[in-house]
Amino acid sequence: MQQNHKNQEPNPSHFEESQGTSDQEVPTHRDLTWDEYRDTIQGMRFFDPHIHMTSRTTDDYQTMFDAGIVALIEPAFWLGQPRTGLSSFKDYYSSLVNWERFRSSQFGIRHYCTIGLNSREANNEPLAEQVMEILPLFLYKEGVVGVGEIGFDDQTAAEEKYYRAQLELAKQAKLPVQVHTPHRDKKHGTERSMAIALEHGFDPAWVIIDHNNEETVKSVLDQGFYAGFTIYPFTKMGNERMVKVVEQYGPERIMINSAADWGISDPLALPKTAALMKMRGISDETIRKVTYQNAIDAFGQSGQIHETDFANGLEIDQSQKMNGNTILRGGQQPRIAKESLFIN
Amino acid sequence: MASNHINSILSSILQELLTQTEWMWLEEKGGAEPLQLMTAFVATPRFVGRRSVTISQENTIALNDEVPGFTVTDWSTVRLSRVWLLTCLDSSDQETYVRHIETLFDTAEMNELVALYSALPLLDYPQKWLFRATEAVRSNVGDVFDALVMHNPYPAHYFTEAAWNQLVLKTIFNDKPIHKIVGLEERANPTLAHMLSDFAHERWAAGRSVAPEVWRLSSGFMDNALLEDMKHLLASEDPNDHKAAALACFHATSSAAHTLLAQHPVLEKAVQHRTISWADLEFNDLNTYATKP
Ligand SMILES: [Zn+2]
Repeated sequence: MQQNHKNQEPNPSHFEESQGTSDQEVPTHRDLTWDEYRDTIQGMRFFDPHIHMTSRTTDDYQTMFDAGIVALIEPAFWLGQPRTGLSSFKDYYSSLVNWERFRSSQFGIRHYCTIGLNSREANNEPLAEQVMEILPLFLYKEGVVGVGEIGFDDQTAAEEKYYRAQLELAKQAKLPVQVHTPHRDKKHGTERSMAIALEHGFDPAWVIIDHNNEETVKSVLDQGFYAGFTIYPFTKMGNERMVKVVEQYGPERIMINSAADWGISDPLALPKTAALMKMRGISDETIRKVTYQNAIDAFGQSGQIHETDFANGLEIDQSQKMNGNTILRGGQQPRIAKESLFIN
Repeated sequence: MASNHINSILSSILQELLTQTEWMWLEEKGGAEPLQLMTAFVATPRFVGRRSVTISQENTIALNDEVPGFTVTDWSTVRLSRVWLLTCLDSSDQETYVRHIETLFDTAEMNELVALYSALPLLDYPQKWLFRATEAVRSNVGDVFDALVMHNPYPAHYFTEAAWNQLVLKTIFNDKPIHKIVGLEERANPTLAHMLSDFAHERWAAGRSVAPEVWRLSSGFMDNALLEDMKHLLASEDPNDHKAAALACFHATSSAAHTLLAQHPVLEKAVQHRTISWADLEFNDLNTYATKP
């Protein structure tokens, strides 16, 4: 895997550009097998605050559930190619609050989402204008826990314009903001994102700055923002380094996510990182904070997260036609979990 | 705006159910400009608590006088608040009004769709919602389907016969109770009766059953084919099938049906003396997909 990596096309995703030390980094969590870590995370439950389930499969939901993921947040993002009209935005946002939420529930995982116009597509201004008009209709929906993921990609004027406009929408809707920080010129982009949020009068505790690394984390935490860390293969942040960040900065306002999407990514990044932290002697309470509680505290400020909905396990019964709707195809055997979510 | 009358009946129901803070928020949004009103439609659960709706007999009668068949019983306060907001939307310009409602449909999540479909009988330009309404019949989301089909007078008034027949057939296909469909008797038709017969034959071939209540739709059209079905029912092992056949034959105009019923004197008496009626066969929990032993 490591050898292949250097010859491989850059991963065209959240973290398309590997730089510096990342080329040498072993993406350890990719190599962890379930048998090696399942005992270490026994009884733990996880909340992944950043994962794009639209591009994941049923198998992912099942293994996530088995690994203790009880809830997740799916931020609105781009589809790898630009959308050409308003309708595809509408359909995409609708699918986040309807179908994907339902599908997730069928695997025992509570699905929340954040809604926003992503930075790349903010550069198509005529379309961006139309999207801004329909955003309020989605932001106020039940289970929408923030405006996201928004921020910078190329750091253009158009990106800044719609970032600012969406900060205002978030303020009106009393929603936290999930900020995607750029891959290129990251340090500058991160500082700029924070400065603009403060300029718009945001309490930094309502802003989650995502995709941090060792270079950005100190400033983010010092200024009072939440710091999200994405564990993503072949990129700057592998989970061994994540462990070191937690050792150095402690658990306050740090949250870990997988940002798994249509790129080479790992929907189990969170439980695997928890296992690694456990193996390195980090306390259970610290692990709980960075893989569960901090995300709930941050996004729970939306008033849309009810921990009782998932803390003791969603009741899953795929044989029941929930909403008269089913994910099962003819003749398939439903998977029924009658007990709690916790893995015994 | 929809009839001022319905708007004010719903207002009075809501004022009894909501806290003062909730009602003040809602009332303000009801008078706001369209985009604000539409956002409030979405945001309702953030400002109005979800409780179940109970209404006085007086208001029940008032509602039914205004829109026969329309009911808010078993709704939540959120659904009722949303429907009320829709009745506040300015409808003086048809094109603008229709565009606003269409936008709400396009961007709706499940609970919003439920409110939108529940509101159809109260919206202006009723013909404009026909396409949306038939989409609900195609929906694979049960609550959305129910909002249009159960206790909702819109389809009976505006659906074509073909669309109506699909609605009834799909209700039966989905194992949902047809007696909650408004206008069931009035819109019975021979095409539907024969579609149901074909459907029953498929089920029987697969070793499954059909909810006995469906035969109430065949009474008026008792030809040879349907008479054969009656015989099949009378020979069934399920006593509810016997009751269904007896009732269908009894209410039929065809003398052949009456002759057939006369061959089963115990059943015939029971129907004549009204010891059995269709109400006995109005089951909510149907389980027709189970294979019969
Ligand atoms: Zn993302």
